[in-house]
Amino acid sequence: MAVNWAERISAFCRGPSRFLSGTTAEAFLAELLRELRDDRATYTVKILLLAPLCEYPTLLCPSDSVGEETALELMSVFDQCPPKSVQFRCHLLLGLTSVLVCTSCVSDRSRASQDFLDLLLQIAQDTSDLHADGALRSLRATACDCLRELEACSPGLLSQRLELLSGLRQRETSRLHQAYAGLHTLVLRNAVYQLTQEAGAGAEHLKALLGGNASIAWELDSGPTQGEDPALLSSLILGPMGTVPTLQTGPDCKELRSVLSSLLEESYLLTVPCQAALLHRLTEVVAMVPGVPPAVFRAQLLRLLGTSEVGLFHATLLMKGAFTDSLFSAEDEAFMLQRLVVLSQHPLLRTPEKLFYTDCILHFPENRPIGCGDGGDETLPVLLTPRLASALVPTVFNDSATMLARLNLLSLVYLEEGEEGEGEGGRGLAYLHEHLTSLLRIMENRGGREVVVTFFRAAFLFLFHFGHVERYSHSVMEKLSAVYLRHTHLAPNFINLADRTQDQLAESSWAVGFLEALQRVITEAPLAQLTAQALSRHLKVLARVAEEGEVPQHSSLRFLSSVITPSSSSLCASGDWRLGNGVLAVCRRLLVHPSLDSLLAPLADVLQHLARRYGDTDVRDHARLYYTLLTTLSREKLAAVLAQGSTEGGRQVKKRSLSSIMVESERLTSMLTIHRTEKTIFRLIEAHPEPREGTQTDKERDLIRNETESCPGEANAALEAYRAQFEVPGFASDIALNYQLTHTESEDSRFDRLFSIRLHFDLTDDHYEPLGDVSVPCLLRERRSPNVRLRLKPRRPYPTTLHASAIFTTQDGLSWLTTLPHIHVAFREAFAPLPAPPAFGRDGKLRLFDGLWDEIGAKSGGEDLADCATSLFCCPLKEAALIALVEEHFLPYLLSDPSDKEEFKVLFFLPPRSHVLLKIRSEDPVHFDIATDNWRLLRYISSYLLTISSTQDHAVTG
Amino acid sequence: MSVRALWIISHEKGENVSIRFTRRFATVEHRAKILAGSSYRSVPEDNTVLQLLLTELGLSDSDKSYVALRDDCLHRQRLPALELRVDGPGKGFLWPVLVISHGPLTLACLPLVDVPAEPRPPLASLLSVSQGFTLLAGLQTFLLGSGGKPDSEGLASRLAMLPSVLLQVCPLGTPLDVPLLGAPATPTVPTPAGNQKQPAWKTGLHRGRAVVNVALIETVRSMQYGNRSRQDLWDVYGTVTCKCEVEGVLPNVTVTLTLPPNGSPLQDILVHPCVTSLDSSILTASSVDNCDGSAFSGPYKFPFSPPLEPFRLCSYTSQVPVPPILGSYQLREEENQLRVSVTLKLHESVKNSFEYCEAHLPFFNRVQMGVVDVKVSAGQLDVSKEKNLLVWGLGQKFPKCREVTMEGKISFSGPTPGPTDPLCTELTSYIKLYFKVPDMTLSGCCVDQHSVQVYSSAKPRIVTSRELQSKEYFIWNSTGTAPVASGQMML
Repeated sequence: MAVNWAERISAFCRGPSRFLSGTTAEAFLAELLRELRDDRATYTVKILLLAPLCEYPTLLCPSDSVGEETALELMSVFDQCPPKSVQFRCHLLLGLTSVLVCTSCVSDRSRASQDFLDLLLQIAQDTSDLHADGALRSLRATACDCLRELEACSPGLLSQRLELLSGLRQRETSRLHQAYAGLHTLVLRNAVYQLTQEAGAGAEHLKALLGGNASIAWELDSGPTQGEDPALLSSLILGPMGTVPTLQTGPDCKELRSVLSSLLEESYLLTVPCQAALLHRLTEVVAMVPGVPPAVFRAQLLRLLGTSEVGLFHATLLMKGAFTDSLFSAEDEAFMLQRLVVLSQHPLLRTPEKLFYTDCILHFPENRPIGCGDGGDETLPVLLTPRLASALVPTVFNDSATMLARLNLLSLVYLEEGEEGEGEGGRGLAYLHEHLTSLLRIMENRGGREVVVTFFRAAFLFLFHFGHVERYSHSVMEKLSAVYLRHTHLAPNFINLADRTQDQLAESSWAVGFLEALQRVITEAPLAQLTAQALSRHLKVLARVAEEGEVPQHSSLRFLSSVITPSSSSLCASGDWRLGNGVLAVCRRLLVHPSLDSLLAPLADVLQHLARRYGDTDVRDHARLYYTLLTTLSREKLAAVLAQGSTEGGRQVKKRSLSSIMVESERLTSMLTIHRTEKTIFRLIEAHPEPREGTQTDKERDLIRNETESCPGEANAALEAYRAQFEVPGFASDIALNYQLTHTESEDSRFDRLFSIRLHFDLTDDHYEPLGDVSVPCLLRERRSPNVRLRLKPRRPYPTTLHASAIFTTQDGLSWLTTLPHIHVAFREAFAPLPAPPAFGRDGKLRLFDGLWDEIGAKSGGEDLADCATSLFCCPLKEAALIALVEEHFLPYLLSDPSDKEEFKVLFFLPPRSHVLLKIRSEDPVHFDIATDNWRLLRYISSYLLTISSTQDHAVTG
Repeated sequence: MSVRALWIISHEKGENVSIRFTRRFATVEHRAKILAGSSYRSVPEDNTVLQLLLTELGLSDSDKSYVALRDDCLHRQRLPALELRVDGPGKGFLWPVLVISHGPLTLACLPLVDVPAEPRPPLASLLSVSQGFTLLAGLQTFLLGSGGKPDSEGLASRLAMLPSVLLQVCPLGTPLDVPLLGAPATPTVPTPAGNQKQPAWKTGLHRGRAVVNVALIETVRSMQYGNRSRQDLWDVYGTVTCKCEVEGVLPNVTVTLTLPPNGSPLQDILVHPCVTSLDSSILTASSVDNCDGSAFSGPYKFPFSPPLEPFRLCSYTSQVPVPPILGSYQLREEENQLRVSVTLKLHESVKNSFEYCEAHLPFFNRVQMGVVDVKVSAGQLDVSKEKNLLVWGLGQKFPKCREVTMEGKISFSGPTPGPTDPLCTELTSYIKLYFKVPDMTLSGCCVDQHSVQVYSSAKPRIVTSRELQSKEYFIWNSTGTAPVASGQMML
């Protein structure tokens, strides 16, 4: 069958979890490996097949052992692949690297990874490909890359091969020397790092290391533990404040110096990314060995400082961070900063690069930093004068990201200047203010959404830095509030700006003043032109204004009162529910406003008017409720009743009681939305064995034993009668699994009493029909765990995993969504006793067994029903152990007389239509003859038998 | 120094979004997991990443005017490195996601953070960031071609080539190179055995006649306000592009730029990585610093060993005393029409021989033009098909007096509204000039054919050329308010 692999692989890569829900990772991996071994598949397809292994190795190889096996398989594919399929072989090496690294085979130094390492070293040394096509990347280069990646993921792996790698690098004259250089540098860096961690390591050790002479008193055997140390994988260059581990060697490190200078001399021959990486690695090495002066880099510096390549300049900046004034003079420093400013606005560079350079200015590695520029803080370099920075002032021609980055930078510059007087800083600040005004004008002139968002971000930045400069912050406030009436659709942005300035500028009262100004423009505007749309936005703003205790609210109330009285608007008559709620939202906040006493009468009037006249019942009812609350409750009570609506995360039970019926758009969202739990709250555990259907039939069997059997005498006839039952749709098609729902150990008392739990199950494959939700009325920590019964309808009775989630309510009325630990359904859980007609006694069932046995035996070799198969499983078991095993595991499925110890006949029925028959003879070893009408079950049954027989063995012998 | 994942998406302003290519680097991810420890965040599946990316770029929910997650004013997009907020189990931030966009194509990658992740390190401390940019920029150039014009078929075929391209340039998440734009045009031979190592950036060796081609292009930008209170601005930058076909593994070539005796020094010189050495005096002059009159003013020597493909040897900026064309533009609103008056003067130092020269007068935020009653002293005037743009073609030459004028009235009476622009409202309006002058530079900089030295046995053929072109050359209406183009002049 032709499978469209291109499509399947791309479907996998687009959404691996979705793809794997239609199959299992195990099956998909098996398919991939089979196809990779298939000689008929083309190499183009085979390269495709490797993609999932390269990109998602841990998904396909969930355990180290699977990874190990897969790697062995891939290596055998590699061995059999003709040398001319270079591309495929390269991809195979990449796939192998991914699998071995990600399943931690490499860090555990597993056998497959050792073999692979040997293979790679062998390829890396094989120079017989000299005359290969230069356009194709050779296998050798890929092998070097793989070695480099292995070393990167498991530092120290190749420390002992340093001399070999150095030799390979030096001898190579083709372009491949780059791959060797990258590998050599990394191994060198890791080896030196490891030496710094060895107590007492010194010049001798370093020399031995470089000479490949590991026998000299150096026992840095790369044990399996070293690979996972994050410090080893980290960059060692943290800037002037970071500490680098050092190796004390004294001034004499001739060997290391000669290696370094040879690498540096040839660095020019490398591509830009490799050159940058090499310089960075060597910077780390020199930083770790104080015996080597940083001046080894000097010869490269001019070339690097003049470069147009971002990677090389960046590597130089990092070098400066590592060596500061031991390599870079004060003039160098000034020059580099100047360069950064030039590069930040260079017409030939791409915007992202320029933004990156701008960012670098704020994290410039100074030789003598003032203060601790540690971490991600943005600090201005001392040398960045306003004059220098003026090349980066924001203009309206900048794209928004550039403009904001520059505005931020220049704000910092002028902030510093401004404190020292009204000189240039004052002019600069005036310019920024002017710039903000231009942005505002552009936004007003029908600027699009991006322009709007950019303006508000710029405004926030300006206020963030200069909120304390009264003159300008006041001017911004006035301009903004003047704009509002013409552009009411910006109400959410205005509110957002007020919120953020209030959060971020704790000491400033700008936000309050701003809201007050908005209140003024809204309430003073003539009502004649007020549209419903604008009104709804005004109400949102006023609701926000009403949250401010310091802002007098009389004008808001006058405004409300005038919009709802019929003379000025038809609002009340229209009975628009949303607008009504908008008004209520303002009122509700006023009910808890500190100046409520003075608002009492006008607020009561508004509410009363709404309650009587408003055209919408819901709004009327709410207004009446508010009115009642306002007029009957004392202030304290009123505040207590309503307050929790505004205190986020309050957990009182009463949270639900009143506020939830208050206003539509309140912070009620916390009540209406479903929250997510951070931890698992409860789980399903398998219920202790309780009466299952199997035991029931045992009882039935005893009952029936004495009755006359109405079962057909012939095996064939018994089979027919048995099969006839399956004509009824849904007959014996499900398996029932019993669980108990229990709390996990977590101590969160909020979740002690849970109600209305609705469990939802997701399948991870398509072997079963989808499950319906299950409801559990309550789960209380102090009570008995409720039982949950799942009815699974198999399409194919294979083991599976269910993902479970639940929605529930806590006592305080919040709804929660939580995930439960996955539920694993074992193969044995799919077993059901034989659904024989009730009239069949033991004999009838035995006849059925024999009938099935013969039929399978006859068919397994034949053509017609290829699904049938027979098999044999043997294991050494003492007789007592066998009997114990049968009693423990097989009793519900045992058809033969339990007293007959010679041969047990066991039948597992697996819905919907599969049977597994066992004849167990107690010989030595014990023979389990297996017959089944579904050969796909064989691998599960044998692993099942293996498990139970081995535990039984232990149980009895041990 | 590595990237964890790479995405290429295409979209039209947030619509018709599709993921065109993705690649995850499992071993780098493995390292990320070890490095980050408990703060590790796995990369979600592609669709989730796509959604997060669009939200962060402000492209999601384009039908809604305000979305808190997208439009919060506190949240400044820290381009070029975005932070994606991952929800659900394992929630947290994916950072730094590097993004570069051109037209409909957006490329993104997630570099490995190999320094302690808490507190968040500056971008500058991560070499993987600049490596990521180099990779993205290289891929972008490969996908769009050097012209940067995407055509869907070419793009699709180039996308199909990506797996094998990545095998070369970034097989395991560590960028090694940028993709080549195509096989070199000249015949190449594999490396001969020898002592000299072949540069990794050179795919083969040239065989045949030696040819060196050096092209110098200067670009001039200008903002002219015609207003005493506001200084006019102009700047010039030059690029030297080379194509060298020279035999040898590591041949030596030297190109020398020279200035006329009183020319102002070349500033902000940036060089290609194939330049072998630089004199420190070449780098000293900078446009952002006080210009020192005694500064080095050439000759500027650039010794290098050329790659096979054409490359930009160096670039510079220069400060020239006058703009090549000085213009004045005046618009007045009269009843229902605009009175237009334009003068353009060609400076005497500029060669009066253009490849082309055109002045464009766009009119925004108005209806279409009706009657156009405008006279020009030279050249030819056209009204664009959409009737919102006047195109004044000046041809190859200015008249002898080196000055041209335009006078007249335009009425706007068309039925349909023209294009809008939030910047150009009312009398805020501009003229944009497009011109190219062959065989001249404003700075006076030139590459003498005889100054190009090639150290090889055969005598090479050397071709040099130079030209001046305009870009963003604006002349603003002096009767309207014109936007500030550079605060530097204001301060």
